[in-house]
Amino acid sequence: MLIDTVIFLPLATALVLMLVPRRATAAQKGIAFGGALATFFLSLTFLTLGVGTAADQSVPWISGTWVAAYHVRVDALRLFFVLLTTLVGVACVWAAFSYAQQPRLRGYLCLILAFETTLLGLFTAADLLLFYIYWDLMLIPVFLLLTGFSGTQAARRAAWSYLIYNGAGGLVLLLGIIALVTQTHTFEVGGSALNLSPQLEWWIFAAFAIAFLIKTPAFPFHSWMPPTYTHAPPPVVAMVSGVQSKAGLFGLLAFALPLFPHAAQTWAPLLLVLGVASILYGALAAMGEQDAKTLVAFSSLSHLGLVWLALFAFDITSISAGILMIVSHGLIAAALFLLLGFIEERVGTRDLARFGGMSHRAPRLAVMMLIAAMAALGLPGLSGFAGEFLILIGSWQTQPLATSFALISVVLACVYMLKLFQSTMYGPERVPHPGAALELRAREAWLVAPLLAAIVFLGVWPGWLNDRTPNVVARIHSRVNVAADLQVRLARIHLGPNVVARIYSRAHDVGHEL
Amino acid sequence: MTSVAGVSISWPVLAPIVILTVGGLLIMIVDLLSRSASKALLYGIGILSCIGAFVMLLPLQGQSTTTLAGAFASDRFSWLFDIVLLLTLAITFLLSSLPKAEDGGSPGSYAALLVFCTIGGMVMAGANNLIIIFLGIEQLSLALYVLAGTGFPREASQEAALKYVLLGSLASGFLIFGSALLYGSAGGVGLAALRTAAVNPSGLFFIGFALFLVGLAFKLALAPFHTWVPDVYEGSPLAITGYMAVAVKAAAFAVLARIVYVVVGHDSVALVPLWTIAILSMLVGNLGAIRQRNLKRLLGYSSIAQAGYLVVAFAGVSRDGLNALLFYLVAYALTTLGAFAVMALLGDGSDSYANLEAYRGLHFRRPWPAAAMALFFFSLAGIPATAGFYGKILLLEQGLSAGPWGFAMAIALVFGTLVSFYVYGKVVWDMYSYVEDEAAQPTGNSLAPWVAVAAGALGTIMFGVLPQAFHILQM
Repeated sequence: MLIDTVIFLPLATALVLMLVPRRATAAQKGIAFGGALATFFLSLTFLTLGVGTAADQSVPWISGTWVAAYHVRVDALRLFFVLLTTLVGVACVWAAFSYAQQPRLRGYLCLILAFETTLLGLFTAADLLLFYIYWDLMLIPVFLLLTGFSGTQAARRAAWSYLIYNGAGGLVLLLGIIALVTQTHTFEVGGSALNLSPQLEWWIFAAFAIAFLIKTPAFPFHSWMPPTYTHAPPPVVAMVSGVQSKAGLFGLLAFALPLFPHAAQTWAPLLLVLGVASILYGALAAMGEQDAKTLVAFSSLSHLGLVWLALFAFDITSISAGILMIVSHGLIAAALFLLLGFIEERVGTRDLARFGGMSHRAPRLAVMMLIAAMAALGLPGLSGFAGEFLILIGSWQTQPLATSFALISVVLACVYMLKLFQSTMYGPERVPHPGAALELRAREAWLVAPLLAAIVFLGVWPGWLNDRTPNVVARIHSRVNVAADLQVRLARIHLGPNVVARIYSRAHDVGHEL
Repeated sequence: MTSVAGVSISWPVLAPIVILTVGGLLIMIVDLLSRSASKALLYGIGILSCIGAFVMLLPLQGQSTTTLAGAFASDRFSWLFDIVLLLTLAITFLLSSLPKAEDGGSPGSYAALLVFCTIGGMVMAGANNLIIIFLGIEQLSLALYVLAGTGFPREASQEAALKYVLLGSLASGFLIFGSALLYGSAGGVGLAALRTAAVNPSGLFFIGFALFLVGLAFKLALAPFHTWVPDVYEGSPLAITGYMAVAVKAAAFAVLARIVYVVVGHDSVALVPLWTIAILSMLVGNLGAIRQRNLKRLLGYSSIAQAGYLVVAFAGVSRDGLNALLFYLVAYALTTLGAFAVMALLGDGSDSYANLEAYRGLHFRRPWPAAAMALFFFSLAGIPATAGFYGKILLLEQGLSAGPWGFAMAIALVFGTLVSFYVYGKVVWDMYSYVEDEAAQPTGNSLAPWVAVAAGALGTIMFGVLPQAFHILQM
C-alpha cells in the first residue's frame, strides 16, 4: 500500500492540478511542489527496511493462458532508484517554475509529475508486464514536454528522434518479453533463473540488451541523446539524464542478469566492448564540445559506459560499485543540467566561447557548479570518485584490459570538466548583458543544494549505500557466475592478451608493409 | 421453434435481426407518412431498435446453436460481433444527429439504410454457409454504396460512392466466383461440407479459396486490395466513414474467422496468401499514413494496417487466437469510433476538423477533446495502459508461438507499430504544440458526441488497465 502511494502520489497530484484553473499559477506551484515533496518524504520511509528485507505486494491481475500480477516491490536495490527519483523529482518540479509561464505551466507540471510516476512504477515493478508498461509509458510525458512545452524547433526535432529511438527499443524489448512468456506462461518471473533453451535465452537477452543500450544510452545507440539532452528544457533533461537513463541499467540488475545468466555470459564480451567504447567516445566527444549541455551529455555517455563495464565485469565489487555509480551519476547529472539551465537563462547562450567569468558576481553559483563538476570528474570525497574508484578496482580483477582503457577516461574527465568549469566561471567576466543579475536566486540555490548534499554524503560515506546492497549484489553475482565460471575465464582470455597480441601483430604487419 | 417448409426456425436466435428489420421499416414508414419528421425522431427510432436488438442478444450469450438448417449460427463468436455492430450503429446515429452532419437531405432513408446495413453485418457474423455469407456481404455493401454518397452534393462524396460501387462490385464478383468453385469442389455450400473438402484439397478448392480470399480482402481493405480506402474514407460523410472503418471490418473479420477456423482449421498452405497480404497491409497501411494531412485518410490507412494486425491473431489457428482477435477488434472499434467522435464533436458533425491543420494547439483551446484524441491515438499505436496495447500483446503472443510465418508477421507488426508511432505521434504533436493567437477553427460542443467519446475513452482505459474485464463479455 505504501509502495502504491509513493508511485501514484505524483500522478494524483497531477490530476488535482488539472482541476486548478489555468490562471491560478501560485496554487499550481504550491500543489505540485507539495506533491513532489510529500512523495520524497514518503519514499524515505523505505529506509527503515532492514538489510535483506523487502516490501512486497502482489495482486493477481490478468489470468488466462498466462498470468500477470500487479507485483510491486522495494528491496535494497530498488530502494536507491526510488530515492533518486523522488529526490530529483522535487528538484525538477521546483526548477520547472522558472521555465514555464502561463498558459503552459499547468501542463508542464502535470507532465513532470506523470513522468515521475512512470519512473517510480518502473523501479518498483516486479512483474515484466508492469515493467514494460512503465517502460513505454514514460515516452509520452517526455515526448510532450519536448514538443509542446519547450517551444524551440530543435527541441521538437529532438522529440522525434527520442520517440522513434526509444520506441524501437521498447518494441524490441516487448518482442523479447513475449517470446519469454510463450515459454514461462507468466509475466511474474521474479528474478529466478528459468529453464530456457540456450538459443532462446540468447535471443531474448539480446532483445533486452538492445532496449537497455538504447535507453541508457550506450555507444552506438546514443545518437538520440545529444540533441535531446541539449534542447530539452533543464528540468526535463535533469529527469531524463538523472533518472530515466538508469532504467536500462535497472532492467539489467533486476531482470536481465538474474533471468538469463548464461546468455549474459555469452554476450558479455560484446557488451564490454560497447561499454568501453561509450567511455572513450563520450569522453573524447565531450572534450571537443563547445556547447555546455552537449558536453555534459557526452560526459554522461562516458560515465554510464563505466557502469556497463562494472556490471559485465561480473565482479562482486564492481557490481556493487555500479549501483553506487548509478545513483551518484543521477545526482551529478541532474545538478549539472539544472545549473547549466540557470546559467543559460542568465547569459542567453550555451556556447562556451561566448561567455565566462561568472564567478566574480555569482560566487554561490560558482561554488555549486564547482562541487558538481568536481564530482563528475571524480574528485575524492565526492560520490563520483567513490563509484569510479570501486568500479575500477572491481573490474580490474576480471577484465584488466577493458579496465585499463576505462582508466584513460579518468584523465579525460578532468580535461573536459575543468574546461567546462573554467570557461564558464573563471577569467574576465564576459556576459552578453553586462549588469544583469548573475547570482542564483534563493529558490534555485535551495533546489540544487539537496542534490549536492547527497553527492557529498555519498562521497564521504559510500558504505551507507553499499552496506545495504550486499545480498542483492551477491545474488546477482552468484547467479551469473553459476555454472559459467569457465565462460568467464574464456571471456577474459578473449578480451585479454589475445586481442592485444593480435592488435600488436596487425600493427607490426602494417609497419612492415610501409 | 416454428417450421417453414420443413426448415425449423429458432426465433430467439433471429430476434435481434428481426427487431432491427422492424425498426428499419418503421423509420421508412414514419418518413413516408410525415415528410417533416425530425432527425431526432428518426434517429431515435434507430437507437431504440439498437437497444431492442441488444436486449434480445443478451439471453443468447454463451449459447451455441444453429438454425435455418444449419445455415445461420449463433455462438460466443457471432455474439460479440453483433455487440460491436450494434454499438457502432448506435454511435453512428449519435454522430449523425449533429447539426452539421450530412445525410443527403433525407434523414429517413439515411437512417433506414444504416439499419439495413447493420443487419447485413449481423447476417455475416452468423453466416454458416456460402450463400448466407454472400447475402450478408451484399446487403451490407449495397446500403453502404448509397450511404457513401450521402454527402451529396459534395463532389468528393459522389466520387467516393462511385469508386466504392465499382471496386466493391468487382470484389463481389471475385467472391461469388470463388464461392462457386468452392461449391464445385465440396459439393455443398455449408462450411461443414467445405471442411471435408479442405482435408484433401483439390486444385479447384485452392483456386476457389484464393478467389474467395481476394473478395474478402477487398472488404477488409487488406493490401493490395485497399486502393479504394483513402478516397472513399475521405469523401464519405464523417459518421459513415467511422461506421465503415468499424462495422465493415468487424463483419468481414467474422466471415474470415469462420472460414479460417471452421473450413481450414489448422495452419495450412491455403492460408499462406493470407499471411502475405497481412504483412503487406501492415507495411502499406503504416507507411502510407505517414504523408496524410487529412485525418479521415490517415485513419483509412490506419484501418488498413489494423486489419493486417488482426490477421496475426489467426497465425496459430488456436482458440487463444480467437480471443486475441475479439479483444483487438473491440479495442479497435472503441478507439476508432472514439476518434471519429472527437472529430465530429469538434466539427459539429462536419468535416472541418478532418484537416490536421485544425488540430494545431488544440490542447490550449480544448484540453479535454485533445486529451481524448491523444488517448485514442495512443491506443491505436499500442501505448501501454490502453486497450490497443493489451491487444497487441495478445497478437504478438500468437505470432511468436506459431512458426516462421507467425514470426514474420510479428516482426511486421512491430515494424508497423514503430512507423505508426510517428504517424499518430504527429497528430498528438500538433495538438500539444503551442501556437500564439492563431485564428482557430470554431469548435462544437454538443452532448451526443461527448457520449460516444466518453464511452470510447472509458472502454479504452478499462480494457487496457483491467483486460480481465473482457472475459465477462466472453463468458
